[in-house]
Amino acid sequence: MLEAADRPIEADNDPAGGPARPAAPKLNAVNNWVPHDIVMRDTWFPIAHAPHVGKKPLRRAVYSHPYFVWRENGVAVASEFHPNEIATREKSSYTDAAGRYPVMEHYGVIWAWFGNPKAADPAHLPSLPFLPPKGGLPGYMTATVRFDCSAPISLENLIDLTHADFLHADVVGDEKSDSETIETFYDSETITMVRTCINKSVAPVMKFFSGIRQPTQNIRQVIRIYLRSHAAIAYGRFTPGDDVPLFHPCTPETRDRTRMEMVMNTSNAGFMFRHVMPKAGYKVSRQDSSMTSPQSPRYMLPTPRKDLHSKFDQAGQRYRLLMMDLAERQKGGDFDYRDNVSADCSDIIGLRKELFQF
Amino acid sequence: MFMATRVSGTWWTVALSEEVTSKKPLAVDIDDQPVVLWRDNQGMARALEDRCPHRRAPLSLGCIRDNGWIQCGYHGWSYDGESGRLKEIPNMKDDQRFPPVYRARAFAVAESGGFVRVSLDTDTVPPAATDHAMPLSGTSHVALGQSAYLDALYDAPGLLIDIKGVQFTPYLMSELHEEDGLLVMERNCQWGKLHWPSFASAEFPITVLTRTHPATGETELTLRDDAFNTLLTACLAPVPAARGVTQVRWRAEIGKTLKGYHARRLGRGTPFAVREAIDATALRVVKPSVSLHGHQLVGAMATAADISAAA
Repeated sequence: MLEAADRPIEADNDPAGGPARPAAPKLNAVNNWVPHDIVMRDTWFPIAHAPHVGKKPLRRAVYSHPYFVWRENGVAVASEFHPNEIATREKSSYTDAAGRYPVMEHYGVIWAWFGNPKAADPAHLPSLPFLPPKGGLPGYMTATVRFDCSAPISLENLIDLTHADFLHADVVGDEKSDSETIETFYDSETITMVRTCINKSVAPVMKFFSGIRQPTQNIRQVIRIYLRSHAAIAYGRFTPGDDVPLFHPCTPETRDRTRMEMVMNTSNAGFMFRHVMPKAGYKVSRQDSSMTSPQSPRYMLPTPRKDLHSKFDQAGQRYRLLMMDLAERQKGGDFDYRDNVSADCSDIIGLRKELFQF
Repeated sequence: MFMATRVSGTWWTVALSEEVTSKKPLAVDIDDQPVVLWRDNQGMARALEDRCPHRRAPLSLGCIRDNGWIQCGYHGWSYDGESGRLKEIPNMKDDQRFPPVYRARAFAVAESGGFVRVSLDTDTVPPAATDHAMPLSGTSHVALGQSAYLDALYDAPGLLIDIKGVQFTPYLMSELHEEDGLLVMERNCQWGKLHWPSFASAEFPITVLTRTHPATGETELTLRDDAFNTLLTACLAPVPAARGVTQVRWRAEIGKTLKGYHARRLGRGTPFAVREAIDATALRVVKPSVSLHGHQLVGAMATAADISAAA
């Protein structure tokens, strides 16, 4: 359904020349989207690639809160104070008595807890079934990329894959296909979008580096977002072609700056594609940033002007609603998990398990 | 635009201590208010409205007399700096007693840390004093209003200031927030021009921490490395002047522990400068980001102050 541009929200309840109609709060809620104001807590955030963390403290931030991460006797620890820092500020409530954050090392990533330290639980770690639980993927499959925008803006960009045909056409191919369908599944902690394209133009990156000779390919792309962690799975199955699962976290360093410790498991692809595809992240992220960076400040304040939507935006709209629902719940002091984020999501994302045995 | 709260009693840093002498008056302005500064024979900095109440000539075009009074260059009327009272009219011989209304408008002056500050409100309590004056200093005049200047300082500091070898990135370690009545943020930076692009950098070797006064925009800046060594400290005072110009006085000093090639280079030549010319093409396309937080925070602080005053 298309919506009229620049129509104030009040117009929904007071249409000119007609009787008043009931408010449509959910629809309005989609347009009351101020992602900059959303701060999620009681969750694990990926803050570093495990091999990068050694004895020297690395500095990170989650919502401007300082995180210093290093290893003690080989075990990752995170503190809100640098060991050399002259403490001039009080300890926050997000750390224990020693100023330490709860930390986990899993999937080759260091995860730090943001929220009540007593609520930290490995059961709240997102399921990433295409990554080896103990890490160990080669360094060329990982990268750190930053986005000059709010993390939810970056994730909304990701879950609306129709942008890829235009913004990333030189990497993933243009918009031409025989058919395109989008399905959305969600619970209180996750949202999953499945995009299926039949006979879509072959992605140039696959044409050049995977040797695909056919003019078209069938594509099944899945985006699954763990709402609290701002962490996403982007899994593409290309036929003919390769399976490309990507861990795409969007850690909010501040409310409008995002850090991505990406991991792309291309273990099953050919030599060239395996090495080149993870590097495409640098190019693709710049292309995304060219839009999300100027977008971000335009979502920092509430506005009566509505966004327009199409049928392809259902997942993005649902993402907005779920995030706002969760934020509202947290605002009311409810930080409980109503759904399990660590349950194996292989079936949900349609993972070909035979390719990812660990 | 970021609007510093122009409350009464605001102390504006209008000069460096070394700019104010007993040799020659110094003309400055705060918005459209012209001010003349000089030192009297006790070495005290004085400030009057830069307007002779006789025929409105700028007092700054006059001179400073041996007794510390400022003398208008038009008809020679002399004024005492502390009170602004007229002390002498040439050729009046012994009849030099004047009614109290014969006075120039005097402003409160406070000097500290190598800066001279003026308050347009004479009843204002002076700011906390410090004896330490940072050795490096300068004054720049920028053709940009103070509000827009502060916006740019928050969103794209590299357009306004130059720290030797330092490249500012768009990425923040801490977004703008209120801390002890100041607006505080920390920005990630890189050394030199040959480095991995900032968007793809996992670590940054240095950060710039800024603490900005919400009323004046006066900003204390600290450059430090990833081991928390302070490499450089600076204080910038952007003051709104006439015709939409911003006068920026600054002082700076190098830290005691300079580790690494780039840090040691700070100790040679000119480590810090405030640009007079701004790249308007680049400035035009800077998207508002941190400055939007600034607006919200200043608004919230002003509201809280109003509530507190009402209570």
